[in-house]
Amino acid sequence: MNGSNTNSRDEDRRKDSSNTTLTSLNQTLRNVQGLLKGRSFPGKVMLTRRTDPLSDSSLRSPDTDRSFSNKHAGTSEWLDDSVEDDIQSKSTPSTNSTGNKSRTSTSSGEDTSKESQKSTIGARATDSARLMKFTKALSGPTVILDKLRELAWSGVPPYLRPTVWRLLLMMPSLWYKGLGMTSAVHCQQGYAPTNSDRREVVLRRKRLEYLDCVAQYYDIPDIQRTDEEITMLRQISVDCPRTVPDVTFFQQAEVQKSLERILYTWAIRHPASGYVQGINDLATPFLVVFLSEFLEGSVDDWTTLDLPPEKISDIEADCYWCLSKLLDGMQDHYTFAQPGIQRLVFKLKELVRRIDEPVSRHIEEQGLEFLQFAFRWFNCLLIREIPFHLVTRLWDTYLAEGDALPDFLVYIFASFLLTWSDKIQKLDFQEMVMFLQHLPTENWNHVELEMVLSRAYMWHTMFKSSPSHFSS
Amino acid sequence: MMGAYRADDDYDYLFKVVLIGDSGVGKSNLLSRFTRNEFSVESKSTIGVEFATRSIHVDDKIVKAQIWDTAGQERYRAITSAYYRGAVGALLVYDVTRHITFENIERWLKELRAHTDANIVIMLVGNKADLRHLRAVSTEDARAFSERENNYFMETSALEALNVDSAFTEVLTQIYRVVSRKALDIGNDPAALPKGRTIDIGNRDDVSAVKKGGCCSA
Repeated sequence: MNGSNTNSRDEDRRKDSSNTTLTSLNQTLRNVQGLLKGRSFPGKVMLTRRTDPLSDSSLRSPDTDRSFSNKHAGTSEWLDDSVEDDIQSKSTPSTNSTGNKSRTSTSSGEDTSKESQKSTIGARATDSARLMKFTKALSGPTVILDKLRELAWSGVPPYLRPTVWRLLLMMPSLWYKGLGMTSAVHCQQGYAPTNSDRREVVLRRKRLEYLDCVAQYYDIPDIQRTDEEITMLRQISVDCPRTVPDVTFFQQAEVQKSLERILYTWAIRHPASGYVQGINDLATPFLVVFLSEFLEGSVDDWTTLDLPPEKISDIEADCYWCLSKLLDGMQDHYTFAQPGIQRLVFKLKELVRRIDEPVSRHIEEQGLEFLQFAFRWFNCLLIREIPFHLVTRLWDTYLAEGDALPDFLVYIFASFLLTWSDKIQKLDFQEMVMFLQHLPTENWNHVELEMVLSRAYMWHTMFKSSPSHFSS
Repeated sequence: MMGAYRADDDYDYLFKVVLIGDSGVGKSNLLSRFTRNEFSVESKSTIGVEFATRSIHVDDKIVKAQIWDTAGQERYRAITSAYYRGAVGALLVYDVTRHITFENIERWLKELRAHTDANIVIMLVGNKADLRHLRAVSTEDARAFSERENNYFMETSALEALNVDSAFTEVLTQIYRVVSRKALDIGNDPAALPKGRTIDIGNRDDVSAVKKGGCCSA
């Protein structure tokens, strides 16, 4: 593995020094094509030169990422964390991975033959072999979260998305809240609550808790709110009508009210940050995904939200908890002066310098600060930068990354930025600011997005073993 | 390398201007109206800062405005105030239909004065003037306030393209006057006081003079 890393890095240097950007793009494209044909992980094709699937599987990112990030957590806290946090369980389940590996290798043959008939780009998530894997992962007596993450990383079939997202985001946080020793042990080993009955219990309780919160914080007269709370509610009500304004479904009063309740309740319960503009954007993928269980077609075809109130409140509750879980790992992104974002923007700058020296130098020479374009990327997790129909796919990867997400964002955004490496180098300061704030992604499809993700994966695998490039 | 772009960048003066004010008062639409003659009913909140430019003629000179549009929410001020540095002009925007946005102007002024040079040309802008039946801030109150604070004042409608060009043009013209006077002062007296103070006095005179001349419209 070390050997191939070094090779790749050498390749990268060569790329920097000459005009091989095109070659690397082609490589990535091939890589992505491999991925679209049903091979299991982005990046690995390039790294391993297509060796056998067995050794490939052991290279896949989420597991290795996490054991890497665990090292930073410090060993003493680590055990406690592992009870509280599903992510920590990643370093243990070697048996699970083995089981998974053999399944991968047996199914990959039929994968390819079936897939070769399908030319639909980006349809990977719907191919039948993958569907089978998902169904298998979800239908057993226990759900192995590791496996689910691994599968989810490359995209979840749309109709399974609500279930998968709930499992990834809503279940883990429950284990340590009084569900007893057994579940804690399960959690350490990477299991979701064992049976669907228990999941139902958990869901029901969470939904009731949300309703209580809404009653307690939102459904009260303004005189019972502090000035800050009134200001916050006002800010939220200014922003709800401006949330995904290009999708008509979001223009409905009921949808905006739901959004307002979710955001306000979240803000009240997270006083360190409170509501920050852009968090409204972050709630929308959850709304769309959980509504997709009840509404036909894509969000562009949805017209009205005529669902029974209890359904709507269930959906709202699920959105609320998912949003909370997502933001738990990024709390200091939204506190005063947004230090978390500033830190990641700095890391992004450093990583870009390492990957693409000419672009980095050009940006610096022109006096462009990364904060001037990347701030919004981190603040809204790229929702503002790509077409809305691609957002849920992107979020499959985000959610699969779990607590490792903030660091992985740096790689995704570097990959995103360097999509336009050549173009950027031809622009002066003003042109660059305007270009980067209005990137030409309106015609993007899954191909472009998969390319960004797989390259991010590849760079992450290459650079994560030498994290010192971030220190300075 | 930049040769191809020089034609576009043919200007005599480059002025940095900031757009500030509460969330949802229409800053981004004022900017898009001025720089692209566009208005969007579907606009999203601004996160951090956005940026656009436009050049205009003042006298026989080409003045290029580099305009930074900022997020209105308080939480972003730590980020956005970094962009105030070096600004020579500011449009301080409120929404004539939401009184609270006018009340907050005082805080925005404080913020601006804490982060910018004393010479900065400030214009108070009451946007959404097309919504006549919803008006909550009277023109008189706003004008009185701006006179007290020694700022320029104008009411605009980005939607109807009312006074938008005039507001920006006025600010840029005043900056130009300050700058050319500064050049003159320095030319006459190479050992002049630090430029800040020299201009400060002159600028204030200018401001009151122009205001009496009636730059305001409503």
